[in-house]
Amino acid sequence: MKLDRGNVIAVARREYLARGRTRTFKWSTILLMVVGVAAALSPLIFRYIDQGAGQTTIEVSVGQSKPGVDAVASLSAVLNAGPSGAAGGTGGAGTGAGAGTPSTPKFRVVGTEDVAAARARVVAGESDGLFVLARATPDADLTFDFISKHVTRDRIVQTVYQAASTIATQDRLATRGIPPAEQPALFAPPAYSVTPADPNAAPNLGDQVDANSAIGFVLAILLFLAIVLYGQWIAYSVAEEKSSRVMELILGAATPFELLAGKVVGVGALAMTQYLLVAAGAVVAMVFQDQIAAAIFGGAAAGVALPSGLSIPLLLAFGGFFILGFALFASLYAGAAALVSRTEDINQIVAPMTLIASAGYLVAVYTTTGLLDANSLPVQILSYVPFFSPYLMVSRVGAGLATPLEALVALAILAITVPFALWLAARFYAAGVLMYGQRPSLRLMLRVLRGAR
Amino acid sequence: MSLVLDNLTKRFGQVTALDGISFTVKPGEVFGFLGGNGAGKTTTMRIILDILRADEGSATWNGQPTDQAPRRTWGYLPEERGLYPRMEVLEQLVFLGDLYKVPRREGARRAREWLDRFQIADYANRRAEELSKGNQQKIQFIAAVLHEPPVLLMDEPFVGLDPVNVALLKEAFLEMRNRGATIVFSTHQMEMVEELCETVVLIDRGRVVLGGSVREVRRSTGRQVIRLAVDGDTQLAWLADVPGVRVVRPGQDYAELDVEQSVDPETVLRAALDRGKRVTQFLIDDPSIEDIFIEKVGRRPTEEQHLVGAGTGAGSAPA
Repeated sequence: MKLDRGNVIAVARREYLARGRTRTFKWSTILLMVVGVAAALSPLIFRYIDQGAGQTTIEVSVGQSKPGVDAVASLSAVLNAGPSGAAGGTGGAGTGAGAGTPSTPKFRVVGTEDVAAARARVVAGESDGLFVLARATPDADLTFDFISKHVTRDRIVQTVYQAASTIATQDRLATRGIPPAEQPALFAPPAYSVTPADPNAAPNLGDQVDANSAIGFVLAILLFLAIVLYGQWIAYSVAEEKSSRVMELILGAATPFELLAGKVVGVGALAMTQYLLVAAGAVVAMVFQDQIAAAIFGGAAAGVALPSGLSIPLLLAFGGFFILGFALFASLYAGAAALVSRTEDINQIVAPMTLIASAGYLVAVYTTTGLLDANSLPVQILSYVPFFSPYLMVSRVGAGLATPLEALVALAILAITVPFALWLAARFYAAGVLMYGQRPSLRLMLRVLRGAR
Repeated sequence: MSLVLDNLTKRFGQVTALDGISFTVKPGEVFGFLGGNGAGKTTTMRIILDILRADEGSATWNGQPTDQAPRRTWGYLPEERGLYPRMEVLEQLVFLGDLYKVPRREGARRAREWLDRFQIADYANRRAEELSKGNQQKIQFIAAVLHEPPVLLMDEPFVGLDPVNVALLKEAFLEMRNRGATIVFSTHQMEMVEELCETVVLIDRGRVVLGGSVREVRRSTGRQVIRLAVDGDTQLAWLADVPGVRVVRPGQDYAELDVEQSVDPETVLRAALDRGKRVTQFLIDDPSIEDIFIEKVGRRPTEEQHLVGAGTGAGSAPA
């Protein structure tokens, strides 16, 4: 087959410019960039929302319960310990009061004698909660009652509960004769380590595998989104050509193979442009997170490191599989779209391809989340099969379970498949001009495959 | 230097679209490719362009199979009109020229020249979907000729145009011929055939029914027609008494009569004079291409609306 590169470039150029100029492209790019930046900055955004809530006042009434600790100080320490302290579970949180506390503590904790008046203040909204300690008999455990306007699904209720546990534990220890000053030692974490049996064998064991699996997981998602989203673009482009009847005009000027190759290149380049724009926005936001945090919250905030495990070979593998995987699926999306006469019918005709893409994606997700053994034979074999390799090989490389050579072999197999897919799609495209108003049946497709024109 | 079709046969499933089509188009001539709807004209053009493959037979240009000739040999105006609806006119023409190896700058220059000549220079930067059908058709014509192809294949180039635009297009047509292009076009407007074509071929149900120069074809029936006008008598009821004469086209200005081969046309004139009629027009002529079309195909060459508005997609079976 003669391939006129000039025609491929001309078609790719038209495709890139025509689609890039559409309002859909511009807005989807802006929207995706906003989402990308927001995702990168999500920790800051959560902090900002939390901060915006203002100071919360909790009143504490100890009554006659005589707790073994300073309940006001303890509660204040737990509530103001920040997200890590709040999530951190038991004992230890009750110690270092004020550690990591911002200049204005989020919670103001004050003692009160008059329970009824305090309760009225909660009802009036002047304070946000009333924490009542009681003890039935001098020997009994402390009991706690939290009086709040929000009795369910409130983060304060949860945090106060943790504070109550801490205070109860400290109280019990104090009752049994252990002074508060000695208590932290009881809750200090023990020394614990994991040693590989053969220190030379598995460099990827331990935390690193988890981090890398997460990277593989994210890359598989990105790949899936790109293939399905941008594959649809190409399907629309082909169906539009058919429904506007311009197809016959350009079929007179270039071969179906050239037209399709140009389309895949053009739409692919545009997809890559959008992808890079979105990624660049997110990366810039991530890198400048410190500065942004400093600008919003004042002072110097702690930096957030880029995800570990993002290595150059992994990024190269991702790039290779991204481009070839896209080319493979895009070709088939284009071929399928050539069979329908109206853009409304696209979703139906590309469904099988989307299903295959989803299958590969799901297997990849299952292996990265540990539901499937990434080293099992079926997964290993599938990671070489063209439709699945983009997802599976990337996640296996990410997890350090495949060598660069294995990735290269899978890439080579994929690279050989792409022209074949293009050729197949070109057959459909060439026949598509004859298929106005015909329902794409299996028989029709088989006829086309035999080269009917 | 000629386009030769030899025994072209094409089947779509059970339907035989072409059943051994053979004819030769001489270089530099304007060739009328006639036939009713579904006769096989579009299929023939698609085979010449390698959009379809023939089951049997061959199509050659200068002795070389047409599917091996460079694509820029052909300028094609498809029956199914279509442009990229959301693309600007000039850009679209430059793109199509690009596919035919016309450098972009040169393509833009030629496109502007043509737009100017077709009196639509203002539309250069409009999107195709904003143009009227007639103007879209002119753009498509330009798209077919921009790369100055040696052969033009035009499927119904004049359909749906107003008389002013028909005149503009006709002029362009003749200019292409004067530059040496070979032009094959199909039409249902028979007066266009008599005006423009040197040679015609008429096909019906995938077979060539007749062909030759327009003059030969018109004489081939052996019959003659009379154009007759009689002062103060448009009914011509007395013609019923003249054997072998039939009114085929009555009219206010004149009537057209079909005269059997055995009848001397002068008998009609004599009959009129005998009845004391004042004959204002009497003309003996060969049957028109339209009459021959009707006789051979059995129905009128109806003008079908082939134009599909940009962006819509009504279905139709392959013709």
